Amino acid sequence: MIEGRYFDGTSSVGVPAHLTLGADGIARLFGLADRAEGPVDELKFSERVGSIPRRVTFPNGGVFETRDNDAIDEALESIGRKAGKAWLHRLESQWHIVIGSLVAVVLLSVAFVQWGVPAIANQVAKVMPVEADRAIGMGTLDMFDRTMFETSELSSDRRAQLRREFDDMTEPLDDGHEYQLEFRKSESIGANAFALPSGIVVMTDDLVKLAKSDEEIIAVLAHEIGHVRGRHALRQLLQAAGISALAVAVLGDVSSISGILSAAPALLHAKHSRDFEREADTFAKQWLREHDIDETRFDAILCRMTREAGESSDSDAIDYFSSHPPTDERVRCLPEEDEPEAEPEAESKPRVS
Amino acid sequence: MNETTIDAGGLAASSSVPTARVNIPFEFRATGGEYFRIWIVNLLLTIVTLGIYSAWAKVRRLRYFYGSTVLDGHSFEYHARPLAILKGRLTIFFGYVIFLVLTKMFPLSIFLFLPLLLLGVPWIIVKARLFQMRMTSYRNLRFNFHGTYGGAMSAFIGWYFLVILTLGIIFPMWVRRQVAYILGNTAFGTTQFRFVTGNGRFFAFCYATMGLGILVYAGFIFMLFQAGLMNPQQNADVDPGNLAQMFGIAGLLKLLVLAIAGVSVYGYYQAAHANASIGGIEIGQTRVISQLRASSLIWIQVTNLLGVLFTLGLFYPWAKVRAMKYHLENTSLDTAGGMGEFTASAGSATDPLGEELGDFFDMDFGI
Repeated sequence: MIEGRYFDGTSSVGVPAHLTLGADGIARLFGLADRAEGPVDELKFSERVGSIPRRVTFPNGGVFETRDNDAIDEALESIGRKAGKAWLHRLESQWHIVIGSLVAVVLLSVAFVQWGVPAIANQVAKVMPVEADRAIGMGTLDMFDRTMFETSELSSDRRAQLRREFDDMTEPLDDGHEYQLEFRKSESIGANAFALPSGIVVMTDDLVKLAKSDEEIIAVLAHEIGHVRGRHALRQLLQAAGISALAVAVLGDVSSISGILSAAPALLHAKHSRDFEREADTFAKQWLREHDIDETRFDAILCRMTREAGESSDSDAIDYFSSHPPTDERVRCLPEEDEPEAEPEAESKPRVS
Repeated sequence: MNETTIDAGGLAASSSVPTARVNIPFEFRATGGEYFRIWIVNLLLTIVTLGIYSAWAKVRRLRYFYGSTVLDGHSFEYHARPLAILKGRLTIFFGYVIFLVLTKMFPLSIFLFLPLLLLGVPWIIVKARLFQMRMTSYRNLRFNFHGTYGGAMSAFIGWYFLVILTLGIIFPMWVRRQVAYILGNTAFGTTQFRFVTGNGRFFAFCYATMGLGILVYAGFIFMLFQAGLMNPQQNADVDPGNLAQMFGIAGLLKLLVLAIAGVSVYGYYQAAHANASIGGIEIGQTRVISQLRASSLIWIQVTNLLGVLFTLGLFYPWAKVRAMKYHLENTSLDTAGGMGEFTASAGSATDPLGEELGDFFDMDFGI
């Protein structure tokens, strides 16, 4: 006999009642003004969740409510009927399964962030048109021009010559991107170059001066073209969206946590960004090899840029969230004859991006 | 006293015989440990099914929370069907993807979506609330929602323009309108809620929040000027990443105080808003009493946040239960007739798309 209360569904008045499930397959309710009965098969038993009350719904809409979850399960078992999704409650009741689930969730989440998100983002990027890249990059250069760039002071001949080299590099690519090379002077970023997703590659005057040969400049340009061609900005955006979705799914509905969640993609941004740098490095070296240019040109300019940046910075802390891999991991820096040997722990911030 | 007023909704018993009023508190019987186990199994199944299970997970989570919410010895029940929720989620997901792709590629198309969104928001609100209420029962009686599309349009959009026209002065009235629309149109069985909090109270706490917020903000701006951050001439030498260098240790302490003050203002608003809103509900002869304290709310939120951060998320189920427990257990009913005298109307299920849309904009995606 299972103790509980019966609510007939027409009012909020509850009547104490007991329920029995007979071996003949008939459920009987006692304690009501009229005795009620009906076939067990026509009743709906709510799933067991934690220790919340169990509900048995009758065909007429009446509900028998009881806190005696075990009694309901035993009664159902004794007449050979399964309680719906009882396995879920069993999973939740056993601590070793719970701990196992926890480990699995952590491993799967890590694997998802490590491989799943980049792979999915890559596939999604493939079906998106090049216009998407252009839309992301729109207005970026204008903003930089207003905040940290000045007009280039290189001679127009020099600029035109480098642009010709750049056009020769990009024309055969034929991947839909509208490549364009721009020169700017900047105090704040020093010798540097970066690519916008729209296909615009920006190079600073300092970098052009720092290079010892045009082949070194071409090596840097190849790296930047690698970013555009690899659609790194678009993929970065898609990856951030994927990670946000995961974070929200795991810890979604706590308002005070939501703010922190928005930082999750930012924390992983650096990791993905380093992966993209390596990808662009690989592209650059491949391109140099294919065009019979010594690929150590890339190493040389990168090392010199690192050294340059290192000298102007007083910080030697390892930047954990750095957007670039450490230079000594990307290339092997050889001491150049005419330059002093680099400090062993070069600061690793501003570099070809 | 209310004893002589007969409410059309159905609380007829206490209209003739004056009954002693009793206070019935809500109880929340969920525990962090129990929810942790439900949460982690939900999470695992959601991941291995690539998100499909999330609809089942949501129903299981809400059934656990509703079932753990006890009033006068009986708990609430959540009735939504996972498959219906899944359909709603998929619809929203693809709609959202289309919206994102279109606006990314043709940024001007946002101007097409804007009026659509403006007309759609009230519809979403009505549908979401209707579904939520119909899917909730207590003592085998369903809740219901009688709000109309026009009502939502007026409360959420119409009043918005009124607020703009009056330069924001009547903004607290807009807040109250929304609460009154949502709560005043809710019904338990056949008994419709009444929302009785007046505009005065909303004006008081909205303006108090605004005043305190401006003070904190002014303090923050003042500190930035002191640190020279707002002055572009000095900016060049300061590394914005190095807060200690920018503000000094004393400055950092002041900044911390300001941050705590900012969080406190938010906590005050939340507590005052809940007390004025939930505490303004009357159902027949029953009044809801909400007694949240800003200080407790802030303490719970800050410690929850730290707990979740320092356990890399593991503390989440305990944090969630703790916050809900505080909210519910500081809410009670002041009633003359007890909870046994409500009657039912013929209820029907409704399409859950609305609720899922509402959820989507709330980002209630937790498992």
